[in-house]
Amino acid sequence: MPVDTKRLRGPEESQSPWLFVEQEQQSPPDEREDGRRKGQVDVRPIFARCGLVSQAKGSAYIESGKTKVICSVYGPRETERKDETDMKFGRLVCTFRFAPFSCAKRCGWIQSTQEKDLSMALLGSLHPGLCLHRYPRSQIDVSVLVLENDGSALAHAVTCASLALADAGIEMYDLVLGCSLRQEGSDYLLDPTFAEETQEPATESTENRGGMMVALLPSLNQVSGLLCSGDLEQQPLVEAVAACIEGCQRIYSVAQRCLLTAVKKKNPPPDG
Amino acid sequence: YLHVALLFWQQVILCHCTLDDLRVDGRSCEDYRYVEVETDVVSNTSGSARVKLGHTDILVGIKAEIGRPKLDRPNKGCLEFFVDCSANATPEFEGRGGEELGTEIANALYRVYDNERSVDLKSLCITPMEHCWILYTDVLLLQCDGNLFDAISLAIKAALLTPSKIPKVQMMEDEEGTTEIELSDDPFDCVRLNTENVPCIVTLCKIGQRHVVDATLQEKACSVASLLVSVTSKGTITCVRKIGGGSLDPESIYEMIETGKRVGKALHAPLQDILNKEESLGKSREKVGFIG
Repeated sequence: MPVDTKRLRGPEESQSPWLFVEQEQQSPPDEREDGRRKGQVDVRPIFARCGLVSQAKGSAYIESGKTKVICSVYGPRETERKDETDMKFGRLVCTFRFAPFSCAKRCGWIQSTQEKDLSMALLGSLHPGLCLHRYPRSQIDVSVLVLENDGSALAHAVTCASLALADAGIEMYDLVLGCSLRQEGSDYLLDPTFAEETQEPATESTENRGGMMVALLPSLNQVSGLLCSGDLEQQPLVEAVAACIEGCQRIYSVAQRCLLTAVKKKNPPPDG
Repeated sequence: YLHVALLFWQQVILCHCTLDDLRVDGRSCEDYRYVEVETDVVSNTSGSARVKLGHTDILVGIKAEIGRPKLDRPNKGCLEFFVDCSANATPEFEGRGGEELGTEIANALYRVYDNERSVDLKSLCITPMEHCWILYTDVLLLQCDGNLFDAISLAIKAALLTPSKIPKVQMMEDEEGTTEIELSDDPFDCVRLNTENVPCIVTLCKIGQRHVVDATLQEKACSVASLLVSVTSKGTITCVRKIGGGSLDPESIYEMIETGKRVGKALHAPLQDILNKEESLGKSREKVGFIG
């Protein structure tokens, strides 16, 4: 474990007291905590806005339920590292971070393995959407910070990052939209909250449980990212991917409108 | 990483051949290369295996140590993965060169084995909240010739499957309430993991219009995106992940999942057979080791 010596630290190990509380929640079947239905393509309402970090080339903020994600894009600028591929294609660098207070458990300042993994997944999802051949010898930095994690953080990070890239004027083939899903037995929960993502099953049976994130290029209908783990049969898995794709399409119009507003704000139409 | 320079015409030929279910080395699209597995190759481990898949060469050693269970999983042991890309495999891995690839593989492995059924983690718990077995799984890449994920998963499965030397442990509590760990004296008194549901990874590379399993480095250079599918012997899928810089259309993802499931399911039985055979030979088995 890397130890952080620069900041004042608490004890070596500490735990949130809430972890010791026995949790018992029984939601009636067919109904989710926030009133959405199981097994339906029902995403939380999304609020998105571009251009709020003034120093960055482009930035975006997304709020969906209680999940709040902010992303800023810097570059294209000259790369530090140079190898053969950098000469022809631009390099995309993604950093995914949870703010220390964003999750139920406090996250450290040092990037954890989970954050590294999510950074790579983010990179893989964004990469197909960008025209990196238009930026030889340069580097584009994307940094995503999750301010509050109430589930589906990666999916919203993907959407948020692609909005920020578009806001920065980086040439892209298409927007990249993300959607998550939680499979519980024969039902799926689209765009799950944190409680739904982490809850223990009510029954002992562990069949067909798992989480999934799909990133989609909506107008090309191409899947640019797919990340799924759990214990799934083929049929539910395929259905879950299809549901996620539909979920991505649902937020397309919100993303488009957000970009339109940002462009209008930057270049106000002449009066008259 | 690991770039192979192919001329444009070579790529075109490769893509066209794949359409006709033909590959450069004479395999069909769903064939694996010749696989060699040897278990129990390193004596200091609780289980070890070496897998050769074409020229890809993987060594896996598992060491079991006693530690504290994670707080959010108080009654389970855990698996830890570390992938070392040694400079033996390719000079590009020298220094910190292989680090990125190493973490990528390790993170994928965490996802593949992170579910209730693949490894019975509850059997690794000694006392809830206090002590559990941690299986440190170290993967060494000795040679890389494409399809690292599949070879690594085979090696991990083989290493877990070997009569692992996880000794039986009892917790003794005296009157003052302090606990003591008591190890069994008999070295053969070991716990054996149930490895029936340990998944194998199948990586499918999309080349042109079709997808192939077990791609060589040349084939990988022609593909923009691949899909990693991990399948248990019963055919349940524990992990799907897109790797590579390209995108895939939904239809081909569904096809690739189906192929992955079929190929992955078929992969388990021969491996199990070979390992059973190897175990039945016992000490009389001829060890091949590293020069074979």
